[in-house]
Amino acid sequence: MAKHRVIPVLLTDGVSLVKGEQFHSWRTVGSVVAAARVFSMRDVDELMLLDVSATREGRCIAPAMVKSVADCLSVPLSVGGGVATLEDFEATLRAGADKVVLGTAAVRDPQFVTAAALRFGSQAVVVAVDSLADDADAVAVESGNTRVEMSPVELAREVASAGAGEILLQSVSRDGLLGGMDLPTIRAVAGAVSVPVVASSGAGEYAHFFDALSHGADAVAAGAMFQFTEQTPRGARNYLAQRGVAIRMAD
Amino acid sequence: MQLQVEVLDLGINNLASLCRGLREVGGVNVRTVASASEATGADMLVLPGVGAYGAAMGELESRGLTEVVNKHVASGKALMGVCLGMQLLGDSSEESPGVRGLGLVPATVAKLVATGDVRVPNMGWNSLEPAEPARAFPTLLRPFDFYFVHSYAMVPDDEGDVLVRCRFGDTAFVAGVLRGNVLGLQFHPEKSSRGGLQLLADAVAWAHG
Amino acid sequence: MFLKYCVRCVLPDSKPDLHFNADGVCAACQAYENRAAVDWDQRQEEFLAIVNRYRDHTNGRWDCIIPVSGGKDSTVQVLKMLELGVRPLCVTATTCDLTPIGLANIENIKNLGVDHVAFSPNPVVRRKLNRIGLEEVGDISWPEHVGIFTIPVRVAVQFGVPLLIWGENSQNEYGGPNAATSSMTLDRRWLEEFGGLLGMRVSDLAETRGISVGALAPYTYPSAEDLERVGVTGLFLGQYFPWDGLSNALLAQASGFHSWETVIEGSMVNYENLDNHQVGIHDYFKFLKFGFGRATDIASLHVRRGRLTRRQAVDIITRLDGKFPWTYLGKPLADIVGPLGLTVDEFIAICDRFTNTSLFVTDKGGALVRDSLGNLTKLSYDNVT
Repeated sequence: MAKHRVIPVLLTDGVSLVKGEQFHSWRTVGSVVAAARVFSMRDVDELMLLDVSATREGRCIAPAMVKSVADCLSVPLSVGGGVATLEDFEATLRAGADKVVLGTAAVRDPQFVTAAALRFGSQAVVVAVDSLADDADAVAVESGNTRVEMSPVELAREVASAGAGEILLQSVSRDGLLGGMDLPTIRAVAGAVSVPVVASSGAGEYAHFFDALSHGADAVAAGAMFQFTEQTPRGARNYLAQRGVAIRMAD
Repeated sequence: MQLQVEVLDLGINNLASLCRGLREVGGVNVRTVASASEATGADMLVLPGVGAYGAAMGELESRGLTEVVNKHVASGKALMGVCLGMQLLGDSSEESPGVRGLGLVPATVAKLVATGDVRVPNMGWNSLEPAEPARAFPTLLRPFDFYFVHSYAMVPDDEGDVLVRCRFGDTAFVAGVLRGNVLGLQFHPEKSSRGGLQLLADAVAWAHG
Repeated sequence: MFLKYCVRCVLPDSKPDLHFNADGVCAACQAYENRAAVDWDQRQEEFLAIVNRYRDHTNGRWDCIIPVSGGKDSTVQVLKMLELGVRPLCVTATTCDLTPIGLANIENIKNLGVDHVAFSPNPVVRRKLNRIGLEEVGDISWPEHVGIFTIPVRVAVQFGVPLLIWGENSQNEYGGPNAATSSMTLDRRWLEEFGGLLGMRVSDLAETRGISVGALAPYTYPSAEDLERVGVTGLFLGQYFPWDGLSNALLAQASGFHSWETVIEGSMVNYENLDNHQVGIHDYFKFLKFGFGRATDIASLHVRRGRLTRRQAVDIITRLDGKFPWTYLGKPLADIVGPLGLTVDEFIAICDRFTNTSLFVTDKGGALVRDSLGNLTKLSYDNVT
């Protein structure tokens, strides 16, 4: 039986682990490698590493950092941050990523998504849809700094038909606040595409995961919740399993 | 005696996890091989794969590795294909019409159809339904989930070649094949945590025997 | 990658939880500047009011708990409370690799005239946790960080003494449960966020490394019910008194505290971090991960207080910060990691795992460049314009 995934997210500024709040991520909170090792110890389903300063600084996430995280894991790793060319994409895969998350570059040029899917396979291409706020008709690019007049549903449709294999749905207004996820948008986006949707941003307790999955998400992701509250990926899986969700039970 | 394992490098994907997983089994000497001139007659060849069927077959050809694989298999030694590598073992794929596969397992490759509440690409953990040949790989008989990330799946001509299936929505696809000395796994054992590492140990034991 | 350094002190922005303003001044410098505007008399009154609220005039219980390591700060914490005529119960959570001078300083605190409890967690378990901390999160002192919070709080619950007096609150820009805002207690959430746990938790060990739940009792926080029943809360002296490490060292020395005979390895002073031989390793890993070590922290403190110019600080750091910890307080590295079951070579391999290579000089092949003593060199020790 196919299982839903619970995915911890690590945010970095290129040097350290940072905490995000509404896409502002100045607060350094530790070492990326240390955090990756802890999650590996906890036998998570998958891990996501996003460099939130890369686009702003005009660079791509450093392969050395990707490798240092990939070397800790025997589960899949999705990586994003400033990937703007096919060379960036390839370098990120070669450094150890299994899937590459495209943000700004995909929104600005959906053909890049197609080119990446053709060269590396759709299953390696994840596109981030950063909804600005609940009910907003707009998304954001450049780590939440620039508004684009396009609804999350429209963007999701466009990149899915361009070849994205997975959509990472985030919410700028709910990011890092532990207050719950944007369920109507999750439902709308999940209903608009036929590729898996990973719902992220806003989860603060296990019940939020359940809600997101009930609204059509294939997987759920969280950053702040796993690093700054007592809750753990295992606790999430146990909770979801008890509520009848198909979830992987780690050994 | 250490098992000599060579992992074929087609220049696209990262092989570190696979090599690390194989090394952790113990009693194994693992190296990567990027062209025919680097191949040294290993006991076991591993064909990984990320990306598109046509591009991967193209890389195999241009690096002279198709020959290497065919000679290796013909001499009775073990070959393991993982993910796209499993699909390359067949004759052809819907993904790249006109491109010929290795033809080591009579099969075609078709796009997954999303029925019920599943989506394509198939991304995530799933359990396996072992067929009779799976008895040679004890890990496949235990309730582990394995990680899948693919949009296509192999359709073998010969039912006897099916090693394991995977339930996907209202149907099931073939998630593993075994034909003589050729093994194919659609999921990623090196990305499937402890269960995956144990399966790699089974595969190494199988290659030894 | 070039680190961005505060334009006033020398802290880099890779330091966890350190915010820089638009002018490049770090939050610690800003907070220090704001001290001038604080009405310290009023704060002292608040402090006294809280202490009096918890003071036990009858029943022969203690008025408060003071967690003490024996160091300059905890010595001063005790001196201050004794000045107020308070009867504290001093609690030492025994450190990982106690030094002779550390032991002497703990004895010195007792001789100031206080009741004292030392809780020594099982050293065999402790060494396992040191090793796990080192290997998994690059922090040999992980069990120490946990224990210095959990053990005194457990004692508070056990002895029924609700008020804990901590020293400086390095997190005071975010607040934390404080007796002044009396409704908050030192709950697990606070500990997770501010306890510097690097994400690894006690529950990870019981679930994944086969250490029994019972063995982890000293590192386990009391239940929410117990905390509420006793009404456990804490305050940070640094909130009520302008805190200065060097002043504390002088006060402590005048009351029998011992310092080291030379500048301590990896540091630039001789009067702190005297109690645990493993501290050198802990500080070295900070350097590897974030690009700054103990000398940077201390130099920044003194620049803020006008005792060093920034230029002098940059010079000192360039020469002293982040040296490979061959010894600490004279004890050789092999003797420090040996009891954990590690050789020096194994230790070096762990160092490499956590080194943020983008911060250091590498050769053309991307390998870290080390000098003859094994020291790394940062790409920049000051802002690069």
